[in-house]
Amino acid sequence: MSDQLSVMQSRQQAPMWLWPMLWGALLLISVMGMPYAEALFRWIEPNARQVIYTRAEFYVLLGRHLLVVGVAAAVTIVVGVLAGIAVTRERGHDFLPLVGQLASLGQTFPPVAVLALAVPVLGFGTLPIMVALMLYGLLPIVRNTLTGLQEVDADIKMASHAMGMTPTQTLRQVELPLAAPVILAGIRTSVTINIATAALGATMGASNLGDPIIAGIVNGNMAYVVQGALTIALLALTVDSLFELLQRKLRSRLSTS
Amino acid sequence: MSLLDALPTPRIRWEGQHPNVVLISLSLVMLCAFWTVDVVSLAPNRIVMGTGYGALEAFGWPGVVLITLLLSSIGLFACQPTLPHYRALLTVVVGLMALMPVGLIASGLLLIDPELPQARLGIGTAYWVVLFVLMLCLVEIRLRLNLTRLWPTLLLTGVALVWWLCAALWLDNLALVQEFRARDRQFLTAVGQHIRLVSIAVGVSVVLGLLLAMLMRRYARLQKGAFTLLNFLQTIPSLALFGLLLAPLAWLAAKVPFLAQLGVSGIGTTPALIALIAYSLLPMVRNTYIALEEVSPDTLEAAKGMGMRAGQRFWQVRLPLALPVLLEGVRITTVQAIGLTAVAALIGAGGLGTFIFQGLGQAAMDMVLLGALPILIMALVVDAGLGALAEALRPGGH
Repeated sequence: MSDQLSVMQSRQQAPMWLWPMLWGALLLISVMGMPYAEALFRWIEPNARQVIYTRAEFYVLLGRHLLVVGVAAAVTIVVGVLAGIAVTRERGHDFLPLVGQLASLGQTFPPVAVLALAVPVLGFGTLPIMVALMLYGLLPIVRNTLTGLQEVDADIKMASHAMGMTPTQTLRQVELPLAAPVILAGIRTSVTINIATAALGATMGASNLGDPIIAGIVNGNMAYVVQGALTIALLALTVDSLFELLQRKLRSRLSTS
Repeated sequence: MSLLDALPTPRIRWEGQHPNVVLISLSLVMLCAFWTVDVVSLAPNRIVMGTGYGALEAFGWPGVVLITLLLSSIGLFACQPTLPHYRALLTVVVGLMALMPVGLIASGLLLIDPELPQARLGIGTAYWVVLFVLMLCLVEIRLRLNLTRLWPTLLLTGVALVWWLCAALWLDNLALVQEFRARDRQFLTAVGQHIRLVSIAVGVSVVLGLLLAMLMRRYARLQKGAFTLLNFLQTIPSLALFGLLLAPLAWLAAKVPFLAQLGVSGIGTTPALIALIAYSLLPMVRNTYIALEEVSPDTLEAAKGMGMRAGQRFWQVRLPLALPVLLEGVRITTVQAIGLTAVAALIGAGGLGTFIFQGLGQAAMDMVLLGALPILIMALVVDAGLGALAEALRPGGH
């Protein structure tokens, strides 16, 4: 019986690593192999003087892209989860309705508009884009933290209280683990949106994987566009499949414990 | 059971003993912004970055005192949150919003040298912060007063009318107004293009979404495959998808002249619409599928018992009952499409995004605003409108 179970589990687990590995490998190949793929891109743009984007190395662009999204994500996760916790506690309860409304309203703001509005206020460059990404990425995380914490059964909280747990213990050992899948889903949404939005940052003075696309559109060079678009798409798919993996792990841990 | 338990619990909505901390903090934030950050900026021409002016220079003493009093009255009223106080708060907040363009007129008179009529008055950071926080105040007051969404919508429409009137009649020096005047034709065309692209994309994806959802209900195997594919598409950043569509479509148009005659090309409306529809399908199909699935089997059974045929059951029972959730899907899809259409400007599809990206290219911030603000307003209006419609259509939710 137990053998059967483990076989089933391993059968389910086998494809778990597959997608992140596959997308990650493709991303690496495309980033490292871009300079050697001239023949391929020559086929797309037979008449162009140059078919490989060379203003910056692709791994540098990828690194910048990851840096912007990563820093923004790190800040938003900390601030967003803390804010979500704060307003669901007794003391911050007054702010709950407003924050809840704001978090759901924030989904209405188009990312392009947010990014565009950030430029007049914050200026051109990487830092303003980062700030805009932080503000924009905050709302899905806050919303999901709120939903996750509010969905924890009141009886369970009562039980942990009755067991003599302090509010902090209840939060750390009961509420947060139970809310974790929902919070993670919010982080996934936030990061996915930010990878896409950061690419648009290339039009606002931030140098990243959006650069080749914009340069290609401006110069009418399809090869550049495809190079940039392919790399961003692979990055998005890699990160998204990593989150998928994380979510599955979390879910299976919750169901077994 | 004591007598006290038997009594209905008193509804302490505004008789709450403790002050409304939220409004007090919001009021403090606004006061801080008003006193410390630039209220307006003044630039001699379009490209030069303006010099910022604080509240004192922009409004003079009487203006500063008046606005400080109004802003702090929000905090003071919130200290004793009673019903009349909330009503007063509502008046103050809406009044302040309506006063905003008047402040701009006043600072225009104070700051602009009559010999330099070309000067452009920019809206400063403090203005945006105060406007945003006033909106938050409005939301908070609406929640505490338990008002429906209709009231703030009506009030905001009134405020918008005041702004429009001021902008049309007296705010000639405002950079945003000048930017609009310089290209009002272009602006209206862009708005038209934007709305057209969004409505075609949403219209097509509503029909396709309904068809796909119905097929999925019939063929279970299709369901998993289609959702996987649509999820996959949603993950790819919009800029990348637009980019990836450019090459094959340009190639197709070059090889098949018939398609080129139909208007297919790498740049322009076709790739934009394909990408927009691809993105719109996931929220649309997901909501349509859930909406159709969620209709209670008992109701359908009852319809069957009444002798309704399968077609009748679908059109007269299942679809009307599914409509609110379906509309929710249309709302999400439309709001998303409004934002994505802005990106489509990069591949020459037109729309309001053109202003954003041209403005960014020329470092003309007012042009960026001219593109971004209507997009934001459009998204908010659609969100509110379709949200209210879905609420009204909910059975028994009148």
